[in-house]
Amino acid sequence: MADPVTRNPLLEEEQGRALILVVERNPVVQRLERFFLEQAGYSVEFASDGIAALAHARELNPRIVVTEVLVPLLDGLSLCRALKSDPETRSIVVLVFSHLHAKDRATEAGADAFLLKPFEEQHLIETVAKLLQLTIKETGA
Amino acid sequence: MVSERLSTGISELDQVLFGGFPTNTLNIIMGAPGTGKTILAEQITFANSSPQSPALYLTTLSEPLEKFISHGQTYAFFDPSKVAESVFYEDLGLIVRERGIAALPDIVTEMLIARRPRLIVIDSFKALMELIEESPEQRTVLFDLASVLGAYQCTSFIVGEYTEEMMADLPEFAVADAILSLLKHATGVREHRFLKIEKLRGSQSLPGMHAFAIRDSGIEVFPRLLTPQTSPDYDLDVERVSTGIKGLDDMVAKGFWRGSTTLVAGPNGSGKTVIGLHFIREGILRNEPGVYVGFQENPVQLARIITNFGWDSAAMFRDENFEHMYRSPVEMQLDNVATELMRRVRGGKIKRVVIDALGDLRKSSSDEQRFSEFMYALTQWFAVQNVTCLMTFGLHYGVQGQDVSDEEISNLSDNIVLLRFQQGPEVKRAVRIIKTRGSTHDHREQIIDISNKGMRITPR
Repeated sequence: MADPVTRNPLLEEEQGRALILVVERNPVVQRLERFFLEQAGYSVEFASDGIAALAHARELNPRIVVTEVLVPLLDGLSLCRALKSDPETRSIVVLVFSHLHAKDRATEAGADAFLLKPFEEQHLIETVAKLLQLTIKETGA
Repeated sequence: MVSERLSTGISELDQVLFGGFPTNTLNIIMGAPGTGKTILAEQITFANSSPQSPALYLTTLSEPLEKFISHGQTYAFFDPSKVAESVFYEDLGLIVRERGIAALPDIVTEMLIARRPRLIVIDSFKALMELIEESPEQRTVLFDLASVLGAYQCTSFIVGEYTEEMMADLPEFAVADAILSLLKHATGVREHRFLKIEKLRGSQSLPGMHAFAIRDSGIEVFPRLLTPQTSPDYDLDVERVSTGIKGLDDMVAKGFWRGSTTLVAGPNGSGKTVIGLHFIREGILRNEPGVYVGFQENPVQLARIITNFGWDSAAMFRDENFEHMYRSPVEMQLDNVATELMRRVRGGKIKRVVIDALGDLRKSSSDEQRFSEFMYALTQWFAVQNVTCLMTFGLHYGVQGQDVSDEEISNLSDNIVLLRFQQGPEVKRAVRIIKTRGSTHDHREQIIDISNKGMRITPR
């Protein structure tokens, strides 16, 4: 999790950098994801478990939540269900990004997209960009 | 009192464990890298998980969690839909690095409370323990962890790259209820995998080394064949089994005893396979189903031989009384063949078995003594099952030799049929009965004729 004193995700969102909340347990993978997503022009926040992710999503209202299935306390699919069943967070786009073959389960949980790891930055960036385009069209934002 | 068992999901391994691992115990799966420990642990985990009985798989510092998932998904037993529903993976290594090894019992306790598992795996436990190898905390942490796992009603497995020498020194071996070790053994270019039950507290297990293979479906175990506890029923000695070659039947008082084993030995081209095929075909005609186990002729080649005798090979292969079990001798494994053969015989309908040829099976064994014991147990088992067996055996001599000098091989059988080429202006095939157990036989050598109608023996 980035230091909230030095970074202001809401401000970054206002400055035109779409905020992405990434739910990932492994700090090494977090570093990789931060590097590539920030390089692509996004503002990135992290949560290390599903419960923290749910709280951050409610607090920060990110444009996209990118979640691994295998995260502690609340798995990525349950997180997705929780986000999609809450009127306050329903509009947040959820991308399930996992090593686990769980495309059908992600769809059932209400996810907007599924990507199978391992990490391939171009594919991730393209998918995030496409999902953002969709949200812009749908909301007119 | 027999404790409740947790099935491994592998019926042959359950057989080795006399039903599976006792429930609510702490067990070790050990072996060198690449022996299949994680595959076995995951297979047991998936076989035993359900929403009512969840499993917790804790990865540590041997491999990242992602590797467990990616690699595990390549096996058929790994059901991705169970992950995060009834199989819960957690990266224990990451949490221990954050909170310290001393917190391990607390961390596991928190996970038990959160997930309420009935099965828990720590993979690799050894890697975790190495974090504090030099520290006096090791024994305390282990003791506390064992206490937690012992107090909670679940069956636990700790996985590690332990060697046999470590068993005497490391504290986890003292607290373990069962220890299963996996080994790899190379002979020439072949690699054999074996498993062994080193310890099973309060229970018996099948002794010795049991072969296993790793397939796309997961681990397949081939228990070591032991001599059956039950003796063959000698009341069976009232029925003769025809070989399908009248002249040969006549040489042994109208056929061999049912449940007996006959060795047909001779050099290449002397007619061993032909006798085997006659024996199986006679079974088809008499509604005595048979398995033809062949290591040289694939189905096409065997069909060609059958057709050559004027028999309808397509009809024979379609016949429900005929099973062709072909195994290439290149990657064949003794226990694998036996397990498959026994599985077929256990089906209950098989009355005849042909093994063509014993020499191929012998070459697949890494140990000569083991081969002899194995074949003795197999033929005894056939006798108990009331199955009549015919085995061919190639002899490496030309026209001169005439005895089966290999004692180990000849002792395996009740009857010995020796084939040879007779010297003279015209090379002729000949047959002689060397031995029949509990029966009389014709001691004279007879001439064989193999034509496009099969084999004929003309009495002289």
